Amino acid sequence: MTLSERMLKIDRRIIFLVIGLCTLLPLLYPVGLPIKISPEVRSIYEYIESLPERSVFLLSIDFDPASKPELHPQAIALLRHAFRKNLRVVAMTLWVSGTGMADQLLTQVAQEMGKEDGKDYVFLGWSSGGTAVIISMGQDLYKAFPSDYGGKATKGIPVLEGVQSLKDVAYAISLGAGNPGVEAWYVFGKDKYKFELGGGCTGVIAPGLYPLLRSGQINGLIGGLRGAAEYESLVGQKGRAVAGMDAQSATHFAIIVLVAICNLFYFSLRQQQGRSRQS
Amino acid sequence: MIFLRRQLPLLITMITGLLFAGQYYVPHPSSELLLTSATKWLQIIGGFALVLGITSLFHQHAVKIRRQEAGWGYSLVLYAGMLVTLAAGALAKGKESLDGAMTGFGWVYSFMLVPLQGTMFAILAFFIASAAYRSFRARSREAAVLLVAAVIVMMGRVPLGEYLIPLSGDVSQWILNVLNASVRRAILIGVSLGAIALSFKIIFGVERSYLGGGKE
Repeated sequence: MTLSERMLKIDRRIIFLVIGLCTLLPLLYPVGLPIKISPEVRSIYEYIESLPERSVFLLSIDFDPASKPELHPQAIALLRHAFRKNLRVVAMTLWVSGTGMADQLLTQVAQEMGKEDGKDYVFLGWSSGGTAVIISMGQDLYKAFPSDYGGKATKGIPVLEGVQSLKDVAYAISLGAGNPGVEAWYVFGKDKYKFELGGGCTGVIAPGLYPLLRSGQINGLIGGLRGAAEYESLVGQKGRAVAGMDAQSATHFAIIVLVAICNLFYFSLRQQQGRSRQS
Repeated sequence: MIFLRRQLPLLITMITGLLFAGQYYVPHPSSELLLTSATKWLQIIGGFALVLGITSLFHQHAVKIRRQEAGWGYSLVLYAGMLVTLAAGALAKGKESLDGAMTGFGWVYSFMLVPLQGTMFAILAFFIASAAYRSFRARSREAAVLLVAAVIVMMGRVPLGEYLIPLSGDVSQWILNVLNASVRRAILIGVSLGAIALSFKIIFGVERSYLGGGKE
């Protein structure tokens, strides 16, 4: 077996070790390279900045713990921004397995920012029906969610004063890890009930949402950990996303180097095989 | 009986299909009320689907355990996990915390579901790297183009890439915004046209496979 053949059949555990080290070392010894803000993240930040105080901001936390590393920092940064702007925050989820996590993160950020449940924010929880919940909220929010996550009747909660349906929402953001997520909020929500919509998603699905962004169907997009790091930088409170960017830089480079090595040996092997066929 | 099994469902599909396609364009209060009632129905049906799904899962794994089929031990773990979670959820009334104290259900959620799902997702990074090494080869011109684009986007999406090659960020942005968006849009339009055509076929009874059976 030639060197090229041996290198192309390298033990996968070596690759795992390289990726493990590339993730671990930057987390232990951060470099802190500057993060450039992309226009799609900035437009969400600027839209929230432009909202008047006590506007209704809906955050749909449409992910489960599997996508927590990427979407949790996005949710925290957005909530910090919304609370700092003194917006009325209405949070909910379309993913049943994300309910507990959504409640925890909302409570955590609200406590940190000194906000009061019912007065400054409400967590509606989860309701069955998937995308039908969005239509139901567009028709009558109180029929879609007769009570909040804590079991309190939603009708009469001060934070929802003057809110009857999605038409009364100033800005909505869906942080989606799949379906139902950003696309469902556009198709069943924004298109019919005419509120402004932004999106946040995992890095894997971000390229699929660019058509919505370019056509103005969503006004901004926070993509993956990178997007979260950009938003944290904009808000001025660096957190887990910024801390994770060095690890992401290192792993991306490790993969690029691995792919380059693999191609180098692949072409070398092809050349060797060509030569042996000629002789 | 053929009327109940075939013609009636087709009639219901046709009437509701046409009604709700038209409803979208009629902003009259009674039309909106119709949509409100229909979505409430959808939510209720969604709830039943959840019950149906859980029942089916329980049944499938119960059969596997009873017959001691290959991998029945995993089914036992699944059964135990589901029952424990259901019991913990029922005791805690579905709440992760009560009066600030974590419930058993909350413990299962925070210390079992969250780390397990996180671990599953994290493992992907290792397998993606391994798969990229083994299969991401410039075997043809098309594969080479894909490879170069992927390397540029990977560089442009991380601070180190932008630091080493400042242009990589802008080029990556251009690839995502122009090349990727236009191709995705073309696929979306194609899929949507297909969905519209299929909807018409279902509404007018041309496509009947959803009724099951397969034979008239």
